[in-house]
Amino acid sequence: MSIYLDNSATTRVCAEAAEAMVRCMREGYYNPSALYAPALEAQKQMRLCRDAVLKAAHAPMGSRVVFLSGGTEADNLAILGHAAKVRAGRALYSAGEHPAVKEACQSCGLQAEEIPYDHEGLVDLEALKSLLSSDVALICCMQVNNETGAIQPLKEIARLRDETAPFAHFHVDGVQGFLRVPFDMAACKADTYALSGHKIHAPKGIGALVMTPRAQLNPRQVGGGQENALRSGTENTPGIAGLLSAIRRYPTENGMRQLKLLLWRLIQEAVPEASVNGPAPDGEKAAPHILNVSLPPVRAETMLHALEGEGVYVGMGSACSSFKQRISPVLKAMHTPQRQAESALRFSLCPDNTEEEMRIAAQAIARQHAMLSKYQRR
Amino acid sequence: MRKLLMVRYGEIYLKGLNRPYFLRALVARVKEAAKPFGGKVWLHDARVFISDAEDMDGCMQRVAKVFGVHSIAPAVEMEKDDFEGICEQANQLMQGLCGTFKVEARRADKHYFLDSPQINAKVGEYVLMRNEDRLKVDVRRPEHILSIEIRDQAYLYCSVYPAAGGMPVGTGGKAALLLSGGIDSPVAGYMIAKRGVQLVAVHYHSFPYTSEFAKQKVLDLAKILSEYCCGIRVYVVPFTEIQMQIHEKCPEDYTTLIMRRYMMRIAERIAQKEEALALITGESVGQVASQTIEALGVTNQVVSMPVFRPLIGFDKIDIMEYARKIGTYETSILPYEDCCTVFTPRHPATKPKMALIEKGESRLDQEALIRSAVENAEIVEL
Repeated sequence: MSIYLDNSATTRVCAEAAEAMVRCMREGYYNPSALYAPALEAQKQMRLCRDAVLKAAHAPMGSRVVFLSGGTEADNLAILGHAAKVRAGRALYSAGEHPAVKEACQSCGLQAEEIPYDHEGLVDLEALKSLLSSDVALICCMQVNNETGAIQPLKEIARLRDETAPFAHFHVDGVQGFLRVPFDMAACKADTYALSGHKIHAPKGIGALVMTPRAQLNPRQVGGGQENALRSGTENTPGIAGLLSAIRRYPTENGMRQLKLLLWRLIQEAVPEASVNGPAPDGEKAAPHILNVSLPPVRAETMLHALEGEGVYVGMGSACSSFKQRISPVLKAMHTPQRQAESALRFSLCPDNTEEEMRIAAQAIARQHAMLSKYQRR
Repeated sequence: MRKLLMVRYGEIYLKGLNRPYFLRALVARVKEAAKPFGGKVWLHDARVFISDAEDMDGCMQRVAKVFGVHSIAPAVEMEKDDFEGICEQANQLMQGLCGTFKVEARRADKHYFLDSPQINAKVGEYVLMRNEDRLKVDVRRPEHILSIEIRDQAYLYCSVYPAAGGMPVGTGGKAALLLSGGIDSPVAGYMIAKRGVQLVAVHYHSFPYTSEFAKQKVLDLAKILSEYCCGIRVYVVPFTEIQMQIHEKCPEDYTTLIMRRYMMRIAERIAQKEEALALITGESVGQVASQTIEALGVTNQVVSMPVFRPLIGFDKIDIMEYARKIGTYETSILPYEDCCTVFTPRHPATKPKMALIEKGESRLDQEALIRSAVENAEIVEL
């Protein structure tokens, strides 16, 4: 039996979501734009999901939800869609943003600039303050960093925005945070919030962008005018049904933080040289489900495969970028020493993980580290 | 009248008394290649013909990869006595073409009622009269050549596609290719296979230092080669234990060279088992520290078989070009760690001293390590 600790890459679809999708595909398969009664039922299901998303994100009154294919498309719609609307100004994004945000900012036509991270992987608010000016049109910051689990100071960012650039659009990438870390969109004064289904046990291919009434976006995809003309194309109703079930089923009270801390304690006991990348795991700035640990001198890729050999699946950095470069840009932005960055692994949990799994994983780490640390490139 | 593929062979023409042997091998290879398309294959009159293939284009692309095939022409076969019909068919073939052309007749049947210049003139005139708005005759540098071969039947074609060339696989014996995931070794294997040599590939796998992805990449490369080579058997040799022992017990600067020596020894052992008579590597002088002349000497020493290094004088850029041509480049550049770079020393020895190597190796139980690696190799047929 394998132990899956790479839930920030993707999750296993939960039974409830899978069943809801099958039902939707076999029975409720009608096009929500059609005019007969069963189509109305399909529309109702979509509305239920919209409401569930709005509620979970604590979106302010009058907010809307656009369903689309996932986190990347949601980020793209927010950034490129806003840039197309305003056409000029500066776009600021935090140093550890996912490429879906970073690349979108760099190609959106606005003047893109990076907000540095501090050594814990949190946005450097002083640096942000000096970057802010009235010509800033867009600020992007993720809710939770996908590699380190650092919970970003969104409220402070919004406060600084209000002081200096009150008209700037604030986009929050919530792909790694939605449901796992409490989020109050109204309190954070975010204008758009991106989320993805497959990180919370819904299927791949469904995501959403929450928009407050203040958000001004141009569509990136045109056609039949679905989703208030912001995302044309027949709605992915099975995906939406899966997302709804996954949101309803997600246990907000779960033991992930305790399990993560247990795993960290066991790793520390076995590997004294281990260190955490990101905020202290037991602190309030650390997400409950992500633990980024360096296990020098063993290189991350080697350790990952060694654990794979023991049936424990973990990640190194972001799954999308594992093959691209050796040192993660997030750890680089945090000025993590090279040796530490090269040996950084990401353990990411879900509510289904168990204490026993943590113990088995920690034993495998201890065993492999003891063996492999003798055989490393000098 | 029927459509077929006319396959021409190249170097086999130069063979004397052995020619039938090479031709039998060539026909066998073409038959294997055409089989998935349901084509009938036969040798007649110094040409290999393929008829009745379900997908002529697909079949042609596949057969173009058979070593020994010089070129392929999609042709029309007809009764040679119906000269009117030949003229009309020639006219049909030229439809859709414009520019200059000439007719090039070849007459294997010397009793035919027209000689080659007469055929050229008559067919040329027929085609020209009907397409004067699009076509002109230019016998020196024509854009299109309409070929007519008069044999037992008449064969007409106006496109000839170059094929892989070389000699049919199997006519040149068998050799073991040291196949890494890099750009060079697949090219080296291709070049030797092109000379008619059947390949067996040996790959060194260092899990967990190298991943399943790295292994799959090598199998993908072997699969690409196998299309040219009529199948390849790949030995995936577990190499972690040997690398660890070398790392632990041998001088750091020499670990790469000692590792290379082990690779050669194991490859030779597998070659013997497979009744292969030579080894093939993708080495090129000076490319990396283990490929200096001194280092090559040191790795060569541990085997008695001939070692073919077809890329020895190639620049990297030329090898890359070759890899693109044979279709391995895109797979080769996928960025997975390969076993050669796992324990790269900080300062690899470029002018190695034999005494130090032997001293290092004396600390290893060579026979046991090699035997275990060979015995535990996973065999994949592609």
